[in-house]
Amino acid sequence: MTVFYALIAFVIGFYVLRLFNLQILQGTNYRIRAEDNRTMEISLPTQRGLIYDRNGYILAKNVPSYNVVITPAELPADEGGIQEVYRQLSQLIGVPVNNGEINKETVRNFTPCATDLGIAQIVYIGDTNAPYRPIQIKCNIDQRTAMILRERAADLPGVGIEVESVREYPTGSLTSTVVGFLGPIPASEEADYRARGFLPNRDKVGFAGVEYSLNDLLIGQNGKRVVEVDAAGQILRDLEPPEQPVPGYSIKLTIDTRLQAAAEAALVNWMDRWNRYFGEQRYTSGVVIAMNPKTGEILAMVSYPSYENNRMARFIPAYYYEQLQRDPYRPLLNHAISAEHPPGSVFKLAAALGILNEGVVTPEQKINDPGKITVEERYFENDPNPRTRDYVCYTYRITGGGHGDLDFIHGLAQSCDVYFYKVGGGYRNEVPKGLNIWRLGEYARAIGYGRVLGIELPGEQDGLIPDPDWKRINVGENWSTGDTYIATIGQGYVLSTPLQVLVSMATIANDGKLMKPTIVREVLDSEGNVVQPFEPKMLWDITQDPVIHVYDENYLQTGEMKTVAPWVVKKVQEGLREVVVSGTASSIFEGFPIPSAGKTGTAEYCDNVAQAKNLCQPGNWPAHAWYVGYAPFDNPEIAVVAFVYNGDEGARLAAPVVRRVMEAYFKLKEVDIEGAGSTLP
Amino acid sequence: MLLRRETWRRFDFWLFGAVLILCIFGIVMIRSAIAGNAQLAESVTRQIIYVSIGLMVLLGTALIDYRIWASLTRLLYGLALLSLIGIYILGRALFGSARWFDTGIILIQPSELVKIIMILVLADYFARTAEAPKNLAWVLRSFILTAGVVVWILLQPNLSTSIVIMVIWFSLLWISGLPVHYLAIFGLLAAVGSVLAFPYLADYQKERIVSFLFPDPNARHGNVYNVEQALIAIGSGGLFGMGYGNGSQVQLRFLKVRHTDFIFSAMAEEFGFVGAMLVIALLVFVILRCLYIARHASDRFGALIAYGVATLLFFQTAVNIGVNLNVIPVTGLTLPFVSYGGSSLLSLVLAIGLVESVAVHRTTLDF
Repeated sequence: MTVFYALIAFVIGFYVLRLFNLQILQGTNYRIRAEDNRTMEISLPTQRGLIYDRNGYILAKNVPSYNVVITPAELPADEGGIQEVYRQLSQLIGVPVNNGEINKETVRNFTPCATDLGIAQIVYIGDTNAPYRPIQIKCNIDQRTAMILRERAADLPGVGIEVESVREYPTGSLTSTVVGFLGPIPASEEADYRARGFLPNRDKVGFAGVEYSLNDLLIGQNGKRVVEVDAAGQILRDLEPPEQPVPGYSIKLTIDTRLQAAAEAALVNWMDRWNRYFGEQRYTSGVVIAMNPKTGEILAMVSYPSYENNRMARFIPAYYYEQLQRDPYRPLLNHAISAEHPPGSVFKLAAALGILNEGVVTPEQKINDPGKITVEERYFENDPNPRTRDYVCYTYRITGGGHGDLDFIHGLAQSCDVYFYKVGGGYRNEVPKGLNIWRLGEYARAIGYGRVLGIELPGEQDGLIPDPDWKRINVGENWSTGDTYIATIGQGYVLSTPLQVLVSMATIANDGKLMKPTIVREVLDSEGNVVQPFEPKMLWDITQDPVIHVYDENYLQTGEMKTVAPWVVKKVQEGLREVVVSGTASSIFEGFPIPSAGKTGTAEYCDNVAQAKNLCQPGNWPAHAWYVGYAPFDNPEIAVVAFVYNGDEGARLAAPVVRRVMEAYFKLKEVDIEGAGSTLP
Repeated sequence: MLLRRETWRRFDFWLFGAVLILCIFGIVMIRSAIAGNAQLAESVTRQIIYVSIGLMVLLGTALIDYRIWASLTRLLYGLALLSLIGIYILGRALFGSARWFDTGIILIQPSELVKIIMILVLADYFARTAEAPKNLAWVLRSFILTAGVVVWILLQPNLSTSIVIMVIWFSLLWISGLPVHYLAIFGLLAAVGSVLAFPYLADYQKERIVSFLFPDPNARHGNVYNVEQALIAIGSGGLFGMGYGNGSQVQLRFLKVRHTDFIFSAMAEEFGFVGAMLVIALLVFVILRCLYIARHASDRFGALIAYGVATLLFFQTAVNIGVNLNVIPVTGLTLPFVSYGGSSLLSLVLAIGLVESVAVHRTTLDF
């Protein structure tokens, strides 16, 4: 008997302690878990903003995608009724009623939308997890089937249609470089997006183009409901007033899709024509960018080859993505802003500004181009063992001669290399003191080289303007006179993006005002009201803002800054005009009714692609083709750059493309004016 | 007989009152535990009927002199065996296995009644052999007597009721003077036996034990989930509880089998530590009252009946609350008087009726 009493005391005492522990000591803890059980947060998906071109043409929109779902708890009560629903649904959507078996393995691996299981098996899994939560039976069914299912909703209790928003890009690969595409929230940013109310498995974020760079504007804000649920997952009531989703802002780009199409066609057709002529795929990739030099608005940006962003709309197919990544011409890269190439002769703009502004030569001063000059390479001042090396003009290889005596304008128009060697690096007594690499760099930077310009697209590169310090650090060698020669004509170590080349020309066209290149015209709210109107942004005016460092005779900065004299800019403009009139691009622009100006560039290079093809022969390197120009000459409206990778010769491969884009621009302008003035209904 | 004053004077109103409160409390709790489940909606009315019938059974049994049962033990034992074998054969033939007789109105679970019969049978055996030598033959005879019915219950299969009866047997054996050296032998045998028996358990029984010892923290259903939800329910009750009808675990049905096996958790959530302590106190009071009556019974048979009932009540209480508090594996034992269920309630009030009868039919001198 005593044992019994002791046992009672012991057991009950133990239980009381345990109860005390659970309810009093850990009570708050368990209450939180009980709260957790009954509250559920439902994220209400927002609508991503749309993307338009400058004329309001849609470049990215949201289209509904239909999924068939079954809410297990709402199926008929009797097994016969359930089977009838399954049978009818199976006939409509082609998913078998029974397929596969339910076991631990299949249940664990089950992923809605990507399963081989039959309807009954999917519903079984959904029913065990949360009977009131709709479970996807088949995803992305066509709209017709979705409508049929909706009509027959009364005969099919428990079956529903879930509408999911999917991105569609009507212009596809034409604008994919600019627009980009969406993908799942990356794991590294999951916590951040979660904190902002986005769901990693549902919501998508931009992966490229403006979809990426303007993601925060486009994405909007998800709404939220905090609801009470019971154990079966049925929603009973709202615990807090629901927060409605806020749609994202829409973006109106500066792109004119028509000009974009014309630019792409001009580039691709021209390359194809030559490829057919040579009977090989010699020209495979290139860039065309068109910009309004006065506002910095990018009117067209073609990076070819591109990719089809519609194929990434629902999910990113691994094989397609891999294929794009392995493509040696790198279609996923926006070559217009992310590829760095030697600019070649288009870089002579920087030297042209510098030599006049620094008084290295006068515009009238004649410099002799014998076709070949020999200089002693000095790696430092008074180098006792100079190496002699020949520098030739491009004419030398063909004619064996040079351009003869040239003044500034014709030196620029003929793109005479020897002229620029001499004025850039100095040559004996003819040009006792050249511009020098330090001062060349100043003028290059002043017109947009060597820095990120801040266009609203991901992956913009800054290029490279080399100087003696850079060479010592990165090459481990002293700077030589020859390096200056080569840099003056935009080769050697100099690298730039096509956008920088375009901006340098646009700055000259705009009388020295460097406009920040931009892709965004307006930001609109979901009702289409302009939230942020377009405002051109000038980064600086080289004739007003002192952006040039002054150097002393030992090429050390004095700390003073100076501007570029307006007459220097005018002279350079005249020289660029002469390029089209009598210079390297005169034959290409013959008969073009609108006066234009421009500059050709043929930039020798030797990269991994060229090496693989064994193209890098000494003295005969492969070359990229460049042309950059603007029109009309007096009052510039459009500046265009064309770049053809491995394009051999700027005048031949790039300049005609620019001409066609300009033609298209002025034709479109005519059409727009006619359209605006038309009184037809 | 009903009107005899001394009958009512000796009637233990404390015991009756405590049981009555527990039964009413059970009805109240079941009402809350329905929580909108249509299938359970009728259970309140049913429980009210069971309690009403039960109280009449209690009073009726109390009035009958318990000594009558001593002479009927053979008959009762025979009836118990017959019903168990009957349900085994019938169940096998019809459903594969069964624990209940479906009478159409209510399900009768014979094993519940067998518990009470075994208390009477064993009390009678140990009372009659009080003077006999406490040797192995004495122990074995009582064991065979018990095992004779337990085998059929085990075959149902119904491990928890089997254990209950074995516990009652052991408890009565112990109080009747089991020599200590046998205890050591039995302890050893029980330990070895339970290990050896493990492979022969039904799958669900094995799983219960395994999941108790090695719980899977991610389970969304099944015993681990149920016990976890029970702990959340108990814990979230705090000191005073979330209020009657306001426990979110109960009302939103996160707590499973909340009207039977886990009614203690439901109660702990809605009435808190204070409420849970009250119910425990009442149950302990009932058990202590039975033991009190056992000590003051006029004969050995009566004392053993009261003692056996106390054992039954204590064991069920301890196991049920233990399951709720996740200190022992899940079993199907209900909380005495509180949990929903006709057979269980009726057999328990019948047991209390027997104890009351022991109290009423004391032959001490009263003046």
